[in-house]
Amino acid sequence: MKPRAKLGYTAAGVTVFAALLVPFLLFGVFTKGFASLGLHVDEVYSGGPKVRTVQTGAYSIDVHRPVFPHLLQTEKPFVQLDWRPVSALPSHVSDLVDVDGHGQPDIRVSFDVPKDPKTPLRVSVEPLNPRYEAMRNVGKEKFSRLIVRVDDAILVRVPLAHP
Amino acid sequence: MATEARVLKLNEVAPRTIGRSLLLTLPIALWSFLMFSHSGGTSRSGKIASVLTAVFMIVLFFMMMRTWNTYRWRRWFFVALGLLFPVGFIHNVMVMRGTMGIPIEEMIAGRTPFCYLPIPLLILPAAFTKTLVFPGSILPGGGMSEAGMAAMAGLWLAITIVVGKGWCSYACFFGGIEEGMAWVPKRAKLRKIDPRWRYLPWAVLLAMVLLSLALFEPAYCMWLCPFKAVSEYVAARNTVGLIQNGIFVVLFAGLVVVLPLLTKKRTQCSFFCPFGAFQSIFNKTSVFDVKIDQTRCSPCVLCQNACPTMSLTKESIARGETLMSCMKCGACVDVCPKHAAVWHIKGTEVAKSPERARLMFLYAAWGMAIMFGGSVIAQGVATILHVFV
Repeated sequence: MKPRAKLGYTAAGVTVFAALLVPFLLFGVFTKGFASLGLHVDEVYSGGPKVRTVQTGAYSIDVHRPVFPHLLQTEKPFVQLDWRPVSALPSHVSDLVDVDGHGQPDIRVSFDVPKDPKTPLRVSVEPLNPRYEAMRNVGKEKFSRLIVRVDDAILVRVPLAHP
Repeated sequence: MATEARVLKLNEVAPRTIGRSLLLTLPIALWSFLMFSHSGGTSRSGKIASVLTAVFMIVLFFMMMRTWNTYRWRRWFFVALGLLFPVGFIHNVMVMRGTMGIPIEEMIAGRTPFCYLPIPLLILPAAFTKTLVFPGSILPGGGMSEAGMAAMAGLWLAITIVVGKGWCSYACFFGGIEEGMAWVPKRAKLRKIDPRWRYLPWAVLLAMVLLSLALFEPAYCMWLCPFKAVSEYVAARNTVGLIQNGIFVVLFAGLVVVLPLLTKKRTQCSFFCPFGAFQSIFNKTSVFDVKIDQTRCSPCVLCQNACPTMSLTKESIARGETLMSCMKCGACVDVCPKHAAVWHIKGTEVAKSPERARLMFLYAAWGMAIMFGGSVIAQGVATILHVFV
């Protein structure tokens, strides 16, 4: 048998052996390898990391770092605010929120909290700082402009007028 | 002479003996037992589905051994996979969220199920910015995200190392739908297909990779994936969403239903799928391939006509090889009356021991088919048993 053929059969044998190892070893190794690459899901979807929590009575507001979409992405820059837990929210929320942490309120956010979690949410945002855009009775328009309920939180994304 | 004798043995019409076929099937039976012994959960329908699927996969492999045919029996598995995947998947989606449309809340929560089709689109954004442009979770994220993107990427890489482009014949849970459609007519109504269409998947791949990098979104999933029509789609919140869903339905109807019925080819895979084009690259790294034995070839072009992905041309037959897009389904090998189309291990002499090459490839590929596709089939069968029986 020629050396090339020997090499071919060896490689084929290794491939069959690798197939045996896929569910018991290779799958796990590659999965862990992928997870350890340090990749993260695009912040337009995830909302960016939380930077501050503002305690407001029985509930809190998580303020996320502003998200700046990439060059040709069709979304506007935005900041995400999470109200949680939903069970502690009053039937109508109208909060002044200091988004940038400078000690002055930047926006007033108002929305109703229906008891039925399937009822669509609507939010209005009144900017007190020109950096933020106004929103009037907005539902789920875009990733950068919405109010949604995710698990035990109500998320509001406010677009930035002057990033 | 020895080579001739071995090849002549293949030419015999007589099937393998039952005993020898059973013996060759034994490793696959053991593998099936290993793979299905803990699957199906605690439900009765799940357990019955696992047993039925294991038996189905073992019987098909036995028939491959007994009849020397590969494509004929693999097709049953593949069509079952294609038809049962939507059954299990749509049932799960409806139970979990009551709609096939992905609500924006689920995307934000990172609970969008991740399939392998967008993998090539994620590479460049990940390489340049360490960002995955997909609204899922890297690790298990609950809901429909199941095991997360890392698990699907790990599984894809592991199976690709083993079967290369064979993924498209032994693992893809979408291709079976069009293979089933192509199976329906006895003869193709549309026979003359411009071979230049074969370059289209590469163009789609290039366009989608660049668009995904530029727009930072999985462009193929957002705009062109025909299989959104039978899995899940972007919830139509506005006109753009309606247009996207319209495109999915038109592409599915055209490429996965109508054209396979007219051409008897896997038209979506051959002329459109960017993942398939990407997967073709791994044909270069795979140790298994299909060759044409020049000493036996007439050439009658039966293999060219039988190939579901147009991976054989007169020129490639003259060179004694398939094109890069060959997905090792075995259609050409089964149809060749002179047994000139043969399974082959790179580096070895063509047609020296084609059955040895076929066996080694099939053990690896069928093992992966049982592990991945088998679990999908079992889930679909369990859903049917659960819902209807």
